Amino acid sequence: MASPALLNLVDITKKFGAVEALRGVSFSVSAGEVVALLGDNGAGKSTLVKIISGEQRPTSGRLEFDGRERHFASPGEAKDAGIETVYQDLSLCPNLDVVANFFMGRELTRKVFGIPILRDREMREETRRALTAGGTRIPSLRTDVEHLSGGQRQAIELNRFVHWGGKLVMLDEPFAALGVEQTRRGLETVDNVRQRGIGVILITHVMAQAFAVADRIIVMRQGIVAGDLRTDETSPDEVVRLITGDIERVGQGFKQQEVGTNL
Amino acid sequence: MANTQPTGALDNSDARPRRSRQLLAFVLDNLVWIILIIALSAFALFIPRFFQIGIFLNIVEQSTFVGIIAVGLSLTLIAGHMDLSIESVMALAAMLVALTFGTGGAGGGLVLSPSFLAFPVSLAMALGVGALIGALNGILVVRFEINAFIVTLAAYIWGRGLVVALSGGRSVYGLPDELRAMAIQRVLGIPFLAWAFIAVYVVFAFILNRTPYGRHLFMIGGNMVASNRAGIRVARNVILTFVLSGTLAGLAGWLLASRTAGATANLGIGMLFQAFAAVVIGGVSLRGGQGRLSGVFAGVLLLSSIQTAINVMGMRPHFTMMIQGALVLAAVLLDTAKNNIRRRYL
Repeated sequence: MASPALLNLVDITKKFGAVEALRGVSFSVSAGEVVALLGDNGAGKSTLVKIISGEQRPTSGRLEFDGRERHFASPGEAKDAGIETVYQDLSLCPNLDVVANFFMGRELTRKVFGIPILRDREMREETRRALTAGGTRIPSLRTDVEHLSGGQRQAIELNRFVHWGGKLVMLDEPFAALGVEQTRRGLETVDNVRQRGIGVILITHVMAQAFAVADRIIVMRQGIVAGDLRTDETSPDEVVRLITGDIERVGQGFKQQEVGTNL
Repeated sequence: MANTQPTGALDNSDARPRRSRQLLAFVLDNLVWIILIIALSAFALFIPRFFQIGIFLNIVEQSTFVGIIAVGLSLTLIAGHMDLSIESVMALAAMLVALTFGTGGAGGGLVLSPSFLAFPVSLAMALGVGALIGALNGILVVRFEINAFIVTLAAYIWGRGLVVALSGGRSVYGLPDELRAMAIQRVLGIPFLAWAFIAVYVVFAFILNRTPYGRHLFMIGGNMVASNRAGIRVARNVILTFVLSGTLAGLAGWLLASRTAGATANLGIGMLFQAFAAVVIGGVSLRGGQGRLSGVFAGVLLLSSIQTAINVMGMRPHFTMMIQGALVLAAVLLDTAKNNIRRRYL
């Protein structure tokens, strides 16, 4: 955590008409750090994800990434800068096969008379290698994604981000459709990504997942950061109380204020 | 992340399914071709004088105009939109060319020197007007987020209105032979028109299947949000698709003007519905993201064959429309049945 922050959010707000989804969010993520983002439904997590990934623009505030202030106009720009996102609602094209989905928007081509031509065989080989390395087994890569199970689809998405890497990865409830064993492997994947020096933001509802893999836990509540804690200095109990609004705790300085009387 | 099915050495392979399934998939994918072959065989067997090379060439030549605008319609449908303006754009392009170069009727009788320049200049005019209307449609759909059905229906109506207004309802005839080279020349005994029709399908099938643009079109039609998130430039691709569709309609109009050696105010009326029928029969999904041009090609030939068969039999032409309407319904029902079979057995 000594290195300068990879992602730095300063006082980000987002208004939808009269509704304030984000009311001044500030935190940072370093390279090689896994930050779990927790919070109740409607706390503003998904809005924040959309802002960082370039899908929406903040109403005000600064977004610094990789040492520069950024104004992403589209997900494509955020992606070019090195931000990969795995969305809660899956981002696959069900009408196309596994390979096409794996290379979506990044197809390998060769130029013939200046016309880009798809290199299908190379893409198939590379997809096979990436899926095998990720421990995913899909009977045939020629299968259209609509014929795959929810778990297999999620596995494709996870392998896709691992393969393309980038500098920061955001995972929005990535294990929602996965079984116990698959989730364990998914968490291992997150750990592998961290060891490659990639920053990770993991959005989850499951406390155990956050504690299993995160270096830091950020709790959002009603559009602000209610708690920003090192995982080894907190407990699930405390995080639950932050989520429900019993206490607030920001930064390492242990600024605690008892709001409720007791649990 | 292991899946739960028992799997063997075939994991992550590009293995195709078993023989029987492969055959079934092949039959389902090429059903239109099979129907076309059966229909042609039946016509050849039961209709006297139907089995002649000349008639088959005529079927292909007849298919050119509907066939070319059906490609544009297919592209826009695959991208999850549609283009109803193609028929009027075709007529408008034909009328502009005829008004400029026609020597009879409302024609302006423009003569270029050297005279062969009429060929490239008229082609550029036709393609240009098509591209322009396509761009307008695309921008209205993408930037102003108006439903493509409304935008292109409007263009269908005002386009036809413009054709009538420009010609004053009069016909134009007497296009110079230099311009009409496409309609007059033959290569290997096959009319140039038919070659143009085939070439358009070969080129666009290649674009759809082998280039990133084509693949992105299927992605946009399949899941637009995901395409955008993946960094695909959805807006640009969709506008380009409408431009291509308009340009193809312009090409069809230019060929139609060459063929008829002029233009009338009601030129090509009804071709939109024939194109739509061919596209649906050819297996292009109205929901977007699905379709193959080889199927559309067969669909166009099938419609044209039926029309020719009815002509040869000497039946009255409104039977054609009734049969075509029934075919469209049959195609949609068949599509549902195909999907059910696919789900159950593939």
